[in-house]
Amino acid sequence: MYLFLGVTAFVSIFPFLWMVVSSTNPSVGVTKGRLMPGTHLFVNLSNLVEQIDLVRALANSLVIALITTGLALLIGSLAGYGFEIYRSRAKDAVFNILLLSMMIPFAALMVPLYRMFAWLSGKMPVIGIDTKAAVILPTMATAFLIFFFRQNTKMFEREMIEAGRIDGLGELGIFLRIYVPTMRTTYAAAAIITFMSSWNNYMWPLVVLQSDAKKTIPLLISNLGSSYSPDYGMIMTAIVIATLPTALVFFLMQKHFVAGMLGSVK
Amino acid sequence: MKKWLTVVLAVMLLLSACSSGGGNKQDSSSGGGNGGGDNSGSASGGKEAAEITIWAWDPNFNIKALNIAKERYNKINPDVKINIVENAQADIIQKLNTGLGSGTTTGLPNIVLIEDYRAQSFLKAFPDMFYELTDTFNAADFAEYKVGPTSVDGRNYGLPFDSGVTGLFVRTDYLAEAGYSPDDLQALTWNEFIEIGKNVKEATGKDMLSLDPNDLGIIRVMIQTAGKWYLDENGEKPFLAGNEALKEAFQLYKEMMEADIVKPNADWSQFVAAFNSGDVASVPTGNWINASIKAESSQAGKWAVVPIPRLAGQPGSVNASNLGGSSWYVLNVPGKEAAADFLAKTFGSDVEFYQELVTEIGAIGTYIPASTGEAYSAADPFYNGQKTIADFAKWTEDIPRVNFGAHTYVIEDILVVEMQNYLNGKPLDDALNDAQKQAEAQVR
Repeated sequence: MYLFLGVTAFVSIFPFLWMVVSSTNPSVGVTKGRLMPGTHLFVNLSNLVEQIDLVRALANSLVIALITTGLALLIGSLAGYGFEIYRSRAKDAVFNILLLSMMIPFAALMVPLYRMFAWLSGKMPVIGIDTKAAVILPTMATAFLIFFFRQNTKMFEREMIEAGRIDGLGELGIFLRIYVPTMRTTYAAAAIITFMSSWNNYMWPLVVLQSDAKKTIPLLISNLGSSYSPDYGMIMTAIVIATLPTALVFFLMQKHFVAGMLGSVK
Repeated sequence: MKKWLTVVLAVMLLLSACSSGGGNKQDSSSGGGNGGGDNSGSASGGKEAAEITIWAWDPNFNIKALNIAKERYNKINPDVKINIVENAQADIIQKLNTGLGSGTTTGLPNIVLIEDYRAQSFLKAFPDMFYELTDTFNAADFAEYKVGPTSVDGRNYGLPFDSGVTGLFVRTDYLAEAGYSPDDLQALTWNEFIEIGKNVKEATGKDMLSLDPNDLGIIRVMIQTAGKWYLDENGEKPFLAGNEALKEAFQLYKEMMEADIVKPNADWSQFVAAFNSGDVASVPTGNWINASIKAESSQAGKWAVVPIPRLAGQPGSVNASNLGGSSWYVLNVPGKEAAADFLAKTFGSDVEFYQELVTEIGAIGTYIPASTGEAYSAADPFYNGQKTIADFAKWTEDIPRVNFGAHTYVIEDILVVEMQNYLNGKPLDDALNDAQKQAEAQVR
């Protein structure tokens, strides 16, 4: 049993370990499959800083991921709460259509979306092509997050809403003062999921961001790998740096995350 | 429940029909929309003309070349602001397809680098979106094989850039152990190459070359030595069944595998590792591999470059071929005249610029007048003083011209599968006939 677990753990951790080790080796060392930590980390780092504007890309990624996460939590939880608590005849039909929208692959939406934003560029350049807003807007409301919040709201005690109403709270007050504090773990889990997917989002930012100054971290890493003679040590260093924030967010909120996921399964 | 599902599906269908209808309507009115875009373009016309954006990949190669070009061009014309944006090659394809496919010009660059194998697919799918360059440079000054993929119906749309000229990079020390010197390898056939491979393996235990089963680059190299391609001369119809050069290439590939002189690799990093770690005695590929070979500096003096082998069974086959390479294209968006002028005065005519490309980044262009410059005749100590650039430039002029057409990679995907079937015992004619049928079904 422990042997099996050990082997599985090793298999899942090995790529991560190899990535960290490789970031300390020169490129030739990486291609030869060297598994010992090397002394090349600082050379890789200085090459990296020289070749790409790492700080600016990290800042771009961070701003986009934080704003997306904030807006997505607000919209997703309001919608999920509304779908579960309020009664309406059209509710289920609307919700089902929403779920069906999860099945449309993003590739099919990309060209129409691009057209929309190209059109917007002419009217309102601040949210047109090549802006952070253009990256955030299509990703801030997802059917998955609404579904996730609705499922978790099923555990939310209706009596608390009644109690709130009796004590004279408005509907918004009930949501903000009672629902949000009690559903902290759900928010944490949703925050991690959204932050990670926004941080790692590749296809849409790739298409919509044009200038070097706006690029996010995954786009820059993709550039590094496209060279005829790639410097694998440097690429690994970049990937380690790009992984750190998501790892950090995950470890900080790990406890809530597990609790939140368990809640959604119930 | 079932009924309900039908209703939902019907609604979905209706919605999608509506949306595509709306899309079409937008298309027809996009003349107005584009007009608006153009107006705003011409309103800021003065500014637009003075700023051009270029997309390319590889910071150590294409981007460096652009930076040198920018510096030189700004000495003649300091008013033009040149924006060089680095994107991975696959990313450029994605962005171009989305941008061009959406029918707007917003966000598109003025100049873009496209690989020669893919160029025709863009030129044919979006004929109005590329700006004709026929009168801005002299196509006859460039290696003839580059003109085919960059032009449509005799009109030039691309300005040729790097040469994908191939060479056979060999480890002289391994070959010496088997009793060969570079002089014995000057005009090889692929059959002789395999014989040498067997002897090298016997003498040193090293494989002759490393191949990725999912990448038939070596097949492309082989058939281009005979002036043949996966498609006919017009680049329209697949030409697999009855293609004698392709047939011979397949037979040679199988022979190599059976002679056990091939070290398989699964991706680029393993391919590079194979020669960096000294596991293979030769690398038959494009000159652009030079930088990766030199990356292992401990192997200095142990390498030489000889002409690529030819096909013994094809009468017109020569010891010169091509793998990869790309060219510059100007998009039909505001600022195109400035973009064309930039290309014409740098990549299109500047001999000195090409000398700088060779000395600074080892990039070999396809501009024939440049090969008379002094940088081209420099000796390279890594290759024991061989004048590699001059050799490559000489072979570039001999590369047979073929029409890559618009479907090189589509057909290659089919051939990869049929190659495995052939290696597993399927008769060769059957394999190529089946590939022909599949290709004809897909390429229309």
